[in-house]
Amino acid sequence: MRNPVIEFSNVGLRYGHGPEILRDLTFKIDPGSFHFLTGPSGSGKTSLLRLLLLSLRPTRGKVSLFGKDVSALDQDSLLQMRRHIGIVFQEFRLLEHLTTFENVALPLRVLGQNESAYRANVTELLDWVGLGERMDALPALLSGGEKQRAAIARAVIGRPDILLADEPTGNVDPELSLRLVRLFAELNKMGTTIILATHELELLEKFDFPHMELRDGQVVFGG
Amino acid sequence: MVDLKLPQRNRSTPIVPERSVAGRTLVLLIAIMTFLSGVTLGGVVLVQKSAIAWSSDVGREVTIQIRPVEGEVMESNLRTAVALAEQTPGVESARALTMEESVRLLEPWLGSGLDLGAIEIPRLVVVQLGDPAEADIPKLERDLAAVKGATLDTHAAWRQQLNVMAGTIVISGLLVLTLIVVATVLAIIFATRGTMASNREIVDVLHFIGASNSFIAGEFQGRFLSIGFRGGIFGGLAAILFFVFVAFAVSGVLPNEASQQLGVIFGRFSLGFDGILGIAAVVPVIAALTAITSRLTVRRFLSQAS
Repeated sequence: MRNPVIEFSNVGLRYGHGPEILRDLTFKIDPGSFHFLTGPSGSGKTSLLRLLLLSLRPTRGKVSLFGKDVSALDQDSLLQMRRHIGIVFQEFRLLEHLTTFENVALPLRVLGQNESAYRANVTELLDWVGLGERMDALPALLSGGEKQRAAIARAVIGRPDILLADEPTGNVDPELSLRLVRLFAELNKMGTTIILATHELELLEKFDFPHMELRDGQVVFGG
Repeated sequence: MVDLKLPQRNRSTPIVPERSVAGRTLVLLIAIMTFLSGVTLGGVVLVQKSAIAWSSDVGREVTIQIRPVEGEVMESNLRTAVALAEQTPGVESARALTMEESVRLLEPWLGSGLDLGAIEIPRLVVVQLGDPAEADIPKLERDLAAVKGATLDTHAAWRQQLNVMAGTIVISGLLVLTLIVVATVLAIIFATRGTMASNREIVDVLHFIGASNSFIAGEFQGRFLSIGFRGGIFGGLAAILFFVFVAFAVSGVLPNEASQQLGVIFGRFSLGFDGILGIAAVVPVIAALTAITSRLTVRRFLSQAS
C-alpha cells in the first residue's frame, strides 16, 4: 500500500475572525491520482488549493504532504516542499514583460540554473504543449488557450509531484477546455498527482476521474 | 547536436522590469541627494584645507612687541630683540618693522595723516620660523625677559579660534551629510514600498513557483543598485562641475575684493585630487546605500507578506 501524498486530518480554516470556511476536512490522496475538485463559487476550492500550495496555514488540524506535517516545517523546508508543487491559475498569471519561453523557464531560473542548461528542456516542453512556434511571443500576443498552455508548461517544467489547477478552463472555450484537461491527463499518466478545481460539470462527465466536492465547508468524494 | 537546432536567445530579460520601478523619479532624487552630499563634502574639504593653510602660515610667524619704557632706547631694544630672535634655534629670520610700517598698522584705528613722531608707539619685530615644530619659542621668551617692555605673541589664540571655527564648519557639514543620508534612506524606503506594491503580482508568482525571499530581494536589489549608480554618477558629476564653475567664477568673474574675501574662507576653490576623489567616492556609497536599503525594505515587505 502506497503512502498518501496528501493527508488532511480535521483541518479547519477561517480568515481572521470570520466564519470557518473549511471544516473538519479529513481525507487522503494517493500519489499519481487525478481528482476534480468541485463546488459552488465561494465553497472554498481556492482556499483548499492554497492550503495545498502552502501559502496558507490551517487554523486547526493537520496537513501532511509527502508524509510530512507541514506545520512542523520551517520557512526553508516549506520553500523546498513548494518546489515539488506546481500551480495553474484561471487567470494564467504569466509575467507580461517576459516571453513565453522566459515565463516557462522562470521556475528553473529561480533555482539558479543557467539558460544553457535548461534551454533544451524548455523548448521540448513548449513543443509538447504546442507552443514551439510561440516561444518568443509576449503573453499579450497569445490567445487564451496559448496562455493557459504556457501556464501549464511553467507549472510542470520543474517536474512537480503534485499539480494544482484552479479553474484552468475558466477563461477558454469548451473545446479548448477538453484539450487542456487531456493535457493534464497526459501529465497524470507520467505520475504527477493532479487536483483540478472546476465548476464545469461537463468535464466531470467526459473524464473518468474521481471528484471531491466541497459542500458546506466539508469534502465529499464521488465519481 | 540538438543545441544547434535551437534558436539562439539574447540575455534573459530582468524578472523585475525596469520601468516598473519608480526609476526616473528615484534617479533624479538620488542625483540631487548625491549633488548635495558632494557639495557639502567639497565645502568641508575647502574650508578645512584653507584652515590648515592659514593656521600653517600664522604658525610660521611670531611677533615680538616692544612697548615704550621710560629710560629705554627703543631702537637699541629693537636691535637686541632682533639679535636674540636670530640666535634662537628654528628661527629663519627676524626683522623690526620700520616706523612708517608701524604707523601704517595704526591707520585703521587712528586714521591717516597724523604725525605720531611726538609720541612713542609700540614697535614690532616680525620673526619668521623655519620649522615651527623645531623653533625653541620658550628659549626666545626667556631671552626676551632681558629686553624691558618686550612681549612675545605666538598667535596661539588666533590659531585656536581658527581651528574652532574650522572644526565647527566640519562638524556642521558632517551633520548636514548625515541628514542628507537619512533623507535619502527614507526616500528609498518609500520608493521601494511603492515598487513592491506595484509589483505585487510578480512577487506572488515568484512565491508560487518556489522563489525564496532572498532571491526576490536580490532581483529588486539589482534594479535599485543600477538606479543608485546612475543617480549617483549624475549627482557626483554635477557636484564636481559645480566646483569647477565656482572656481572659474571666483577667479575670473567676481571683482578682486569679493574674490579675496571668499578666498579667505575657501582658498582658491581648488578641491584638489583628494577632494574630487572624495566626491567620486560618494557615488558608490550612495549606490550601495540604495541597494542595501531597498534590499532590507524588500526583505521586510516579503517577510510581512509571507
